[in-house]
Amino acid sequence: MPWLIKLIMFICVVPTALLMFFIAFPANPSKKKMIFGVRDNPKFHEGDAAAKLKLITSSCRKGALIITILVCVMSIVLLFLPTNGMTMLAWILLVYGLFLIAVPFGKGNVELKNLKKELGITKSGVTFTDLTNTNTIHSLKLPWLILPNAIALIAAAISFLIDLGVIKVDVACEQYALTMMGISFLFIAVILVPIAIMMDNTRNIVISKDSNINANYNRAKKKTWADLMVAMSWANALFLTGYSILLMFVNSEMVILAGVLVYTVIIMIIVAIGAVNQKAIEKRYARDTNLELLDDDDYWVFGMFYNNPNDTRLNVEKRFGYGGTINIAHPAGKVILAITFLLLLGTLILVAWLAATGQMNELNAGINIPGLDN
Amino acid sequence: MIIRIDEYSDVPIYMQIRNQIVMGISSGELKAGEQLPTVRALALEIGINTMTVSKTYQMLKNEGYIMTDRKNGARVRENIAQSGVISEDNKTELRRIVSEARLSGVPKAELKKLIDEFY
Repeated sequence: MPWLIKLIMFICVVPTALLMFFIAFPANPSKKKMIFGVRDNPKFHEGDAAAKLKLITSSCRKGALIITILVCVMSIVLLFLPTNGMTMLAWILLVYGLFLIAVPFGKGNVELKNLKKELGITKSGVTFTDLTNTNTIHSLKLPWLILPNAIALIAAAISFLIDLGVIKVDVACEQYALTMMGISFLFIAVILVPIAIMMDNTRNIVISKDSNINANYNRAKKKTWADLMVAMSWANALFLTGYSILLMFVNSEMVILAGVLVYTVIIMIIVAIGAVNQKAIEKRYARDTNLELLDDDDYWVFGMFYNNPNDTRLNVEKRFGYGGTINIAHPAGKVILAITFLLLLGTLILVAWLAATGQMNELNAGINIPGLDN
Repeated sequence: MIIRIDEYSDVPIYMQIRNQIVMGISSGELKAGEQLPTVRALALEIGINTMTVSKTYQMLKNEGYIMTDRKNGARVRENIAQSGVISEDNKTELRRIVSEARLSGVPKAELKKLIDEFY
């Protein structure tokens, strides 16, 4: 496996693990609105409950810290290990290992819900809706989303026509390499468009009795999501176009991998900027929040999966982290969940099968670059 | 205008929305001619069935508080018909409130003060 692939995997795995840890397990969870996906309550900070809360948060944080350190250490070890099919399998398993960081989060969520029951905290079941702002807060400018993705579509179509021989151009790379790359980038575009539209149509959160504050808060939040999706779409389209042109003249796996590395770094920077902006908005509007929000903790399985059959919405804002998630009780949510689960399971089975039958080594041999291996 | 929905209330959700829209019109939070959200948009925003919102709008329309048409959707009526009388249902409700206040030892003046405040 060329060192660049290992470096790409390292850049994807380690920052993700660290981000997951620091976002889900803050050093002082009592200062947050949510603790392990459970809405903070003043009763949590009184008498014995405060001691129990501290015990739950510290033990879960400790567990998550151990898993995060293990993931980071294993990433460093794999970076320097000799390349073979098993190393590739180990990288894939490490990516799946990232999900383990969420296990202490789920455990903390269950324990805090039990604490709520012990303290007799019943859900208030009150929800607020701002009639003035209903369906009027949107920040996504569709042409700015469609334009880059249309460019990506055209670039992918041209690549396909070149590979088919319809457009006569001498290309340096192997046949169908352009098409394969075009499909890969186009797949991202196909995912980005519906997510962007869904995020722009998420329910407005009512934080204040003042409709103007609610409007500004939701507009600002939706703007960061819209900007993120548009920036990612442009990065995707520009890389696809530039890459296609580059591959026509250069047939070097080194160039391909270096490009993927740059692309990965750019996407991570865009996401990081979006997350920082989102955090700034929350901080800015924290002092304007004067309404007690709906206690729907019981509908959040492990604080991560929203399962509310009484809610007709498909997409809702996540309880921790950045962005949205789906209501898995919604019919379309069930389909999305099943597809995601099958894709994850299928990938794992495929990689395990390739490693078991020794075909992973053949794949690695196909992308080896003399002098750059290991 | 902020609508507060209590999932565990004995009052049905369509009635909770209706009551708060009526209060909003009365207090001036919802102005004459003001556009209301579409049935679908409001249902999505609250996370309830469209039939529930549709029932609310139908009720408000029948009572003469809003008008609806296919082109403009639902709007607060410019001129709400003023009968000048309290309906029998509201009289019963008011009687219940006054009775409970009396039994709780709330002075009559306090009750009148509240009526002045809400009127």
